Amino acid sequence: MKSLRRDLSANPQAANVTSKVYVRSLKNGKVQKIVRELYLREDIPCSSKLCGQCPTIAPADANGNIAPFVLSDRPAGTTAFPRGHYLVPDTNALLNGMDLFEHTGAFYDVIVLQTVLEELKNRSLPLYNRLLALVKSDEKRFYLFFNEFRRETHVRRGPDESINDRNDRAVRLVASWYSSHLQQSIRKGKKEKAIPAIVVITDDKENLRKCKEENVTALSLSDYVSGLEGSDMLLDMISESKDARDSKETNRGELFYPEYYSMSKLKTGLGAGTLHQGVFNVSPYNYLEASVKTASFDKPLLILGRDNSNRAIAGDSVVVEVLPQDQWKSPSTKIMDEEAVTRNDNPETEETEAVVSERERKALQEEVKKAHGKTSEGKPQPTAKVVGVIKRGWRQYVGHVDSNSTGAQSSGRRQQNVFLLPMDKRIPKIRVRTRQAANIVGQRILVTIDAWDRDSRYPTGHFIRSLGELETKGAETEALLLEYDVQYKPFPKSVLDCLPSEGHDWKVPVSKEDKGWNGRKDLRDLLICSIDPPGCQDIDDALHARVLPNGNFEVGVHIADVSHFVKPNNPMDLEASIRGTTVYLVDKRIDMLPHLLGTDLCSLKPYVERYAFSVLWEMTPDAEIVSSNFTKSVIRSREAFSYEQAQLRIDDKSQNDELTQSMRTLLKFSKILRQKRMDAGALNLASPEVRIEADSDEVGDPLTDVKTKAMLDTNSLVEEFMLLANITVGTKVYESFSQTALLRRHATPPPQNFEELQNQLSKKRNMELDVSSSRALADSLDRCVDPKNPFFNTLVRILATRCMTSAEYFCAGAFAESEFRHYGLASPIYTHFTSPIRRYADLMVHRQLASAIGYEGEDGHAINEGVATRNKLEDICRNINVRHRNAQHAGRASIEYYVGQALKARGEKMAADGVDAGIEEEGYVMRVFENGVVIFVPRFGIEGVVRLEDFVLPGESGARSVAERRELVPHRTTDFDNEEYTLRVSEKGHPEAERSVTVELFQKVRVNISSVKEEGRGAGKRRVRILVTQA
Amino acid sequence: MSNQRQASSASQVPHLSPAELSYLYTSLSLPKNPIRPDGRSPTQFRPLSAETNILPGTNGSARIGFADGTQAIVGVKASVEKTILAADTLDSRSLAQHGDALNREGEEGSAAVSGQGEWVQMSIEIPGYRDDDALPVFLGEMMRESLVGSVAGGSEEVKEMAGGLKGRLVINKRWHWRLYIDVLLLSQPLAYPLPLLSLTTHLALLSTKLPKLKSTGEEDPFFDDDWAVAEYLYPRSNKQSSPSDAPTYPVRPPVTLLVIAVGENVIFDPNREEIAVADAVLAISITRSSDSENMKLLSIRSIDPPSRLTQPGIPNSENVNMLGGPPASSNQSGGQEEVGGVWRPRRGGVQRSVITRMIKTVLQKGGVGEEVIQGLEGVKVE
Repeated sequence: MKSLRRDLSANPQAANVTSKVYVRSLKNGKVQKIVRELYLREDIPCSSKLCGQCPTIAPADANGNIAPFVLSDRPAGTTAFPRGHYLVPDTNALLNGMDLFEHTGAFYDVIVLQTVLEELKNRSLPLYNRLLALVKSDEKRFYLFFNEFRRETHVRRGPDESINDRNDRAVRLVASWYSSHLQQSIRKGKKEKAIPAIVVITDDKENLRKCKEENVTALSLSDYVSGLEGSDMLLDMISESKDARDSKETNRGELFYPEYYSMSKLKTGLGAGTLHQGVFNVSPYNYLEASVKTASFDKPLLILGRDNSNRAIAGDSVVVEVLPQDQWKSPSTKIMDEEAVTRNDNPETEETEAVVSERERKALQEEVKKAHGKTSEGKPQPTAKVVGVIKRGWRQYVGHVDSNSTGAQSSGRRQQNVFLLPMDKRIPKIRVRTRQAANIVGQRILVTIDAWDRDSRYPTGHFIRSLGELETKGAETEALLLEYDVQYKPFPKSVLDCLPSEGHDWKVPVSKEDKGWNGRKDLRDLLICSIDPPGCQDIDDALHARVLPNGNFEVGVHIADVSHFVKPNNPMDLEASIRGTTVYLVDKRIDMLPHLLGTDLCSLKPYVERYAFSVLWEMTPDAEIVSSNFTKSVIRSREAFSYEQAQLRIDDKSQNDELTQSMRTLLKFSKILRQKRMDAGALNLASPEVRIEADSDEVGDPLTDVKTKAMLDTNSLVEEFMLLANITVGTKVYESFSQTALLRRHATPPPQNFEELQNQLSKKRNMELDVSSSRALADSLDRCVDPKNPFFNTLVRILATRCMTSAEYFCAGAFAESEFRHYGLASPIYTHFTSPIRRYADLMVHRQLASAIGYEGEDGHAINEGVATRNKLEDICRNINVRHRNAQHAGRASIEYYVGQALKARGEKMAADGVDAGIEEEGYVMRVFENGVVIFVPRFGIEGVVRLEDFVLPGESGARSVAERRELVPHRTTDFDNEEYTLRVSEKGHPEAERSVTVELFQKVRVNISSVKEEGRGAGKRRVRILVTQA
Repeated sequence: MSNQRQASSASQVPHLSPAELSYLYTSLSLPKNPIRPDGRSPTQFRPLSAETNILPGTNGSARIGFADGTQAIVGVKASVEKTILAADTLDSRSLAQHGDALNREGEEGSAAVSGQGEWVQMSIEIPGYRDDDALPVFLGEMMRESLVGSVAGGSEEVKEMAGGLKGRLVINKRWHWRLYIDVLLLSQPLAYPLPLLSLTTHLALLSTKLPKLKSTGEEDPFFDDDWAVAEYLYPRSNKQSSPSDAPTYPVRPPVTLLVIAVGENVIFDPNREEIAVADAVLAISITRSSDSENMKLLSIRSIDPPSRLTQPGIPNSENVNMLGGPPASSNQSGGQEEVGGVWRPRRGGVQRSVITRMIKTVLQKGGVGEEVIQGLEGVKVE
């Protein structure tokens, strides 16, 4: 009987075929044995430009081109390898040193093995993606070598060989193959030039030993880096390797944190409903308190204290277990800053530390006491502890080195541990090992977290790079952009190549026969104008109105036709979809689209012809819509107004030209529309926004640039028509794409979100907030008026806004039609259509609308590509939702930074005697804690925490410096009423009313604002300090 | 005569004349040393060749070919399945409360949970038969019942097998393996295919591996993705004196042997012609019990002997053609009579002593059963 098994010995071709066997676990718990056959080949090139042989055998594509060779023929040399070298890193080297490999100063000509890439994919997906990005870019000359498919370098696993040993063997084999291959095939004429060394980078001791045995050059990552220039900085970029941490663990054995459950135990628990999964969310006021919103409960679960949060960091996706009921607590009423509580921790030693230091434990006990005390509102809430982490949300963090932690002996090149204080208060401090402590103190630096082991109180990370001196404009702006993950690098060439070749000379074709006119309406004779903030360059929208012969009106909204210039799936489109939105900082704008489009070709500038996408309505004089119509068009804007200019022109009785008349018509209609919207229950929400007009001269007081946003009629004119256009377009695209229309929704907030605010209002002002519908809420918000305190209404609106969920983009198929509702606008359907220059969502909606109205594009075939693939659209929605939020946060942070700098500049100018007198302003109490309050200052749109020492008590000497005030803390005592929301601050032993300050919620207070340098802890960190001077 | 009617009986009846049947019967029933058509001794098996792991995609597989050209392939696939629990254990709260207790008893807990016979599924495909025909169904059930019924005796040696194959399939209280044994006969069944299929299944099961479990206790199962560390379904003893030795198995899957009785003689591994004249056909399932070297009897099934379907022969004395005259009416009762050299279909039972001898030959020390098992041990399973 002839054997059916494949016999490898007899067949001469058999060496070309091999198989790979593994077990695949499926989501539903099933397991499969998978057998893959590999057909080995000999035409996979080495991709070295030195090689004379591979170019002749490398496989060619359909056009007969072979992929360009990557590895340089003159690789960089080092002292150890003067003749140049190629690097072959193993998986651990990449895991520990990815930042090094991305560094532009070193690590060129790297051979990435398929074996290593696949192993990396299993170990860390983000690193895998970063490595792939490196391989794709040409600059760093990374070559992905498919060693598993090349016959000479394929490795069969031995009978008792572990996978790791096999992979290590594969790495060694590749290295030795490369050496001998280059030896043989080096181009003639280059013989005199020596062959580059092939250097294996591995941290595995056993592998290093075997390399030596097999005559393969191998170095550990740190040994290799030590031989490079600027090694101090580079060495800091290596993650603390697993081995080092392991050995530490065995040495010490003291473990601070409980172990995570095993993955299978987590899965079982999640399946059985005993464990819950959610995103770990740290409170901005108290670093020891976090919440996790899970699918199973309406309200988030509380996580209190370090051992319960068990090494989770804000943004991680964690699994929690609910604690027994006797451990339930109410949320904290105390402000706690990590910096303040753990100031004296020493980064070098941990012997004496417990996970929860005594001080922290005491702070927590007080919480418990509070929870068990009078509990009307502070009812204990379910608490939970973290038992596992599904996915780390770690990113790169910007911060500065805690100068206290650098120690005295910061001289010399010795490696030492320092603490990095991240800008984001919710992130714990990070222990970083560095050789350059002295150099990086006082700088904004970028670090990343490598690990958080059970035996370490703080996460460990490593240094990536310095952004520059603290408080310099460049460093702080870059820090902001990095913190909010804004893509700020200049557009790459591939994107710029997608721009029209005519550049700024591009014009609407003169001849109507031109293909550019296909499907476009000529609206050049309409009296169209645009109204925008002053100095606006990227004009998205323009309007017109005119009387029709039948007495009705035609109203048009014309939006820049960006989709004409940005074709789907070209590099520019992809870049825009990643950026998602334009980000506005005080002094900088990070564009979504290249400058040429945003500010010129797409921008609906006055007096020139531009392509537009128009929405035209026929309206009765009562602003009832008779019909609506959509068309691509060509327009010529007559004038670009600022809001103020437009207002002046409308108000100017002497102006009676047609343009002004049509603007008056628009204004009239907008008021009717607004009233209708309000009647339907639209909310008039407020956010604490200020505008900064940074164009004023240098000599003036910089604070005068800070302006609260004025609301003119013309603002709301534009707003109303944009809303109307968005709603009309939303309806239309949903008709055509019932599954894939890109829409925007604002979910109805659950009533329990408002509970606390309702409670506060009824307690302090005897007012009621009816949240049963948006209409009811709008009405009750209108009733929240305090005649003595005109800002009170705005304050309540700000607080109410914070109780709501944020609006989001979504794909029509993802929700039931009843869920489409936009709560804030009280509209059953909504989308974004009117700002395609600065928002990617609008661009997508433009494409969908074009497809919906049958616009065929200039070359006759529709460009509806990508408007109907739901998966892709959902990816886009996810991304732009995140980008949108980040852009808002970045903008706000930028304003905050600007206000701080303006205060500083003013302080320096004013302070003749060396002490900043600050500026007196009005503030409002937003929240009351047990040891401080949160004050909102409308003038600057900032809110700040006021701690005990920052209350100026009557009869107190006017000590103003930070150090002096800090001395006051031990002498102060407070009387906090959780139910009445009042806090009385007095000196110890002097409880008399005349020597104390009492503040309560919503109260208007006089505050003194200044920008102060944190003293004592040095490092020139600034903050905006608010002193309560008069209650 | 349709296949259907024969399907339940031992095999298709070969087209032999009554005289040939009679001749065969006489030779096979010769006292002490029967003469078999192919010259084998009564306990001799047909030569066979075997190999394992021929199907890379399965968890285990084997192929056996007899010298007469009949061949069978068996593939074993295993999949993880949720155990349907009794209502009280389904309550997740009680699960959570006893979570720790469950985890602790997890190690021996799997022994406490008994498996179910239906976790082993067998399908047999024979050319010319539908899978719901009686023959494949009957064969499958016959082999499955001994498989799931075999419970290892002593548990001290291999505790995984304490509950037999059924117990081995238990992962924890909520999960188990389901085995799919697919048996494929490659050729027309020249003889009753039971021994061939049983031996092939035996080898396939020995080569079957299950992915290594990484989770513990009552957790949802979670497996190592390295196939090289997968564990054998039937664990192997690590007491190997040298690596070249064939591995030893503390527990082996059962083997089903086909035995016929012709007259006083007991004949093993009968071919089709031999079955056609058998007085009794028995399928005897045995295994080697783990604590002793003795064979253990698992089941006996009697199979309807096809000889009853054959046409009786007519003695020359009664044959009209032979005599040319009318048959003697007085000899009508001769149907009951044994006439030498005339084929008479078997009717009635077999003697108890014959059955006893059949079983004894299989089970006794140094008997046929041991011989077969030893022969199978000689096949190197990798």
